Amino acid sequence: MNIIYYMKLNNYRPNKKMYDEMVDDTNKLRQVYTKFGKYLKDTSLSELTKLEDFSKQFFMDQGVTFTVYNDQKGVERIFPFDIIPRILSNNEWLKIESGIKQRIKALNLFIKDIYNEQYILKDNVIPTSLILSHENYLLQMNKLKVPHDIYTHISGIDLIRDIDGEFYVLEDNLRTPSGVSYMLQNREISRRLFPSLFPKFNIAPVSDYPAMLYNQLKTLSNRRNPVIVLLTPGLYNSAYYEHTALARLMGVELVQGNDLVVEDNYVYMKTTSGLMRVDIIYRRIDDDYLDPLNFKSNSILGVAGIIDVYREGNIVIVNAPGSGIADDKATYIYVPEMISYYLNEKPILKNIKTYQLKDKKDREYVLDNIKNLVIKRTDGSGGYGMLIGQDANQKEIDDYILKIKKEPNKYIAQPTISLSSTPCLVDSHLSPRCVDLRPFAVYGANGIEVSPGGLTRVALKKGSLVVNSSQGGGSKDTWVLKG
Amino acid sequence: MLSRVANNLFWMDRYMERSYGLLNLIKTNYNSTLDSGDYSSWNRILFTYMNYEKLDGSDYNDSISIIEFMIFDNLNSNSIVNIVSMARENARSVQEHISRELWLSVNKYYLAVTDKKLIKKFRKKDTMEFLNDMINFHHIYNSISEVTQERGNAFFFMNVGKYIERISQSLDFLNVKINSLDYENENFYADTFFWKNLLISIGGYQFYVKTYKSIFNIENIVEIIVLNQFFPRSISFSINKIERHIKILNDINKPDDNILKFMLGKLKNNLRYTTIDSIKQNGLEQFIEKTTFELNAITEKINSIYFYQKN
Repeated sequence: MNIIYYMKLNNYRPNKKMYDEMVDDTNKLRQVYTKFGKYLKDTSLSELTKLEDFSKQFFMDQGVTFTVYNDQKGVERIFPFDIIPRILSNNEWLKIESGIKQRIKALNLFIKDIYNEQYILKDNVIPTSLILSHENYLLQMNKLKVPHDIYTHISGIDLIRDIDGEFYVLEDNLRTPSGVSYMLQNREISRRLFPSLFPKFNIAPVSDYPAMLYNQLKTLSNRRNPVIVLLTPGLYNSAYYEHTALARLMGVELVQGNDLVVEDNYVYMKTTSGLMRVDIIYRRIDDDYLDPLNFKSNSILGVAGIIDVYREGNIVIVNAPGSGIADDKATYIYVPEMISYYLNEKPILKNIKTYQLKDKKDREYVLDNIKNLVIKRTDGSGGYGMLIGQDANQKEIDDYILKIKKEPNKYIAQPTISLSSTPCLVDSHLSPRCVDLRPFAVYGANGIEVSPGGLTRVALKKGSLVVNSSQGGGSKDTWVLKG
Repeated sequence: MLSRVANNLFWMDRYMERSYGLLNLIKTNYNSTLDSGDYSSWNRILFTYMNYEKLDGSDYNDSISIIEFMIFDNLNSNSIVNIVSMARENARSVQEHISRELWLSVNKYYLAVTDKKLIKKFRKKDTMEFLNDMINFHHIYNSISEVTQERGNAFFFMNVGKYIERISQSLDFLNVKINSLDYENENFYADTFFWKNLLISIGGYQFYVKTYKSIFNIENIVEIIVLNQFFPRSISFSINKIERHIKILNDINKPDDNILKFMLGKLKNNLRYTTIDSIKQNGLEQFIEKTTFELNAITEKINSIYFYQKN
């Protein structure tokens, strides 16, 4: 019976050690994949491969690319895209959505608190030293009133699904989370790849994200028609496509640091009809580069004096500078405490059990169980600088332990959780690959809104757990079936 | 509109127009060598457009390798590949200001010229047909711009760039041709072969024949290239376009300085009262020099008023 099933699903064999999004332990299709499974059974691998070729050409033609520069010649690359969608049921989504809203609400209250009264530190829920000495903690933000008390306007929360089928929060991204344009583009291409499936499947649309973002940004200014701009580091940034796409879809100006100038405590952009006042900046550059007068003085990406204008309340910066204090791996551990402290609620989405290497007891446990753990730097991102115990050899482990002993407070450890897998088209065959999920949320005066689904990132290398695009990761479309 | 964006739009169209003009020049020269067998005509072109002196065309195969060089050479900033890449880089930075269709057409052209397989196609295919395919990308680009781009800042900055480039090319073409001929020779104006090719390279041959039948007469030819009000590649036609677009840009942006409007009005009127006799009297070279000078002054003003204005 099973064998027949394999044949029909184009020989798809899931990895038994993980939760597979499409089939269960007995290789039966999960409820949510019933319809798509039928499509897969009726479609040959060569047809799927043709669709894949079409998708590659589509991304190239649209310029959904980043450029790699070597020997004076720019080479266009597309971000790898897998055509098989990742499908979530409406119930699964509703839980994720409410969990994310709860989490962002708490994180935002936390940021407001630590830049103002600091109750959570005074009540010893979170160690004061951890926050006040942190490099993401910005003194410039102290006692600064931000519109509607919102700091984390745009966020992306990374989720993974463990073998028990539950979603866990891997990471909160509250600075400049990227990938939302790929969510939009992946949907665009899916509609082209599976035109007959779309009306039947009742898939929650994502295309109104730019309008939602624009409307929420607009609520942050008192002016009736505020001038909103998107600040990009420029053409050579790997996320430049995303910046152009968002600016284009929202109908706002895409600016670079040298397009802006500070005068008389306002920010202006240099236009063909002279200087024009700017009210809201959705910046896609880090805090450090925002203002050479206040932060890194050699930065040419930012705008000199912008933080002073910000302190005057004459410009809104999105997300608020200093928000990075809440999405750090060291503060991550305390998010469940924040949720109960500020909201008096139980977390809807679970955290992954995390050990702190600065803690003696935790450290002993980690060193004894290093083979079953993943160790990360608290300030690391993009999947760099981490040790995956089960994959590392003894020398790598020994070297890493030396580093930990030098700066134990910079490291945390988590059990190796398996990510869930979905079928992917790899070399013209369906094979399981690990995925995570990054839904995108927008927080403005209209409350918190989460775009249904989000970006499913895929670790395209066999057996890999790293989904980051800088390390061979790709993405796929995410369908929330409204039932 | 952001000054940087306006500048990039201006250059996007300038580069597109440059590549278009160069392709037409290549095509015409290739075609003319088939009749004349004078392969040394490439030398002047290589020198003027690619700043390259060492080549000496002597047979048909040289034609082909020179064309290959002019289209594909990565190291020469004036090769078609590099000009189109520049146009596309400018387009990429102004995507939210140009129509989606226009972006897709520039991007498609860019992907086509940077495709590694293209050079093989060039070597296999009939040269004329290959050049026509390339030129067609430009016709598509210009049509898409015409039917999809709203008439606002973006469209007019693009067009000003396009027409400035067009005039500057017509002046260059004239220069190249003059220098390749014996200017002192009395028969200079009587060399119909030369004038016919010049007409073809700026696409005015058919229009000429329609207007003046096939009697090649210098007065009429210079009239078409320089003074004609209806031929879209004549200098006068382009100046009129620039003048109109600058006027509209002036109305939209209301700069403090009205000098640009004045300069263009002056140039337009000078041309209106220029006759073929006055050109002949003072010499074609002097006419070219004077017009080039005025055009440069206008470009500088566009820069200082719209692109790099002091705050």
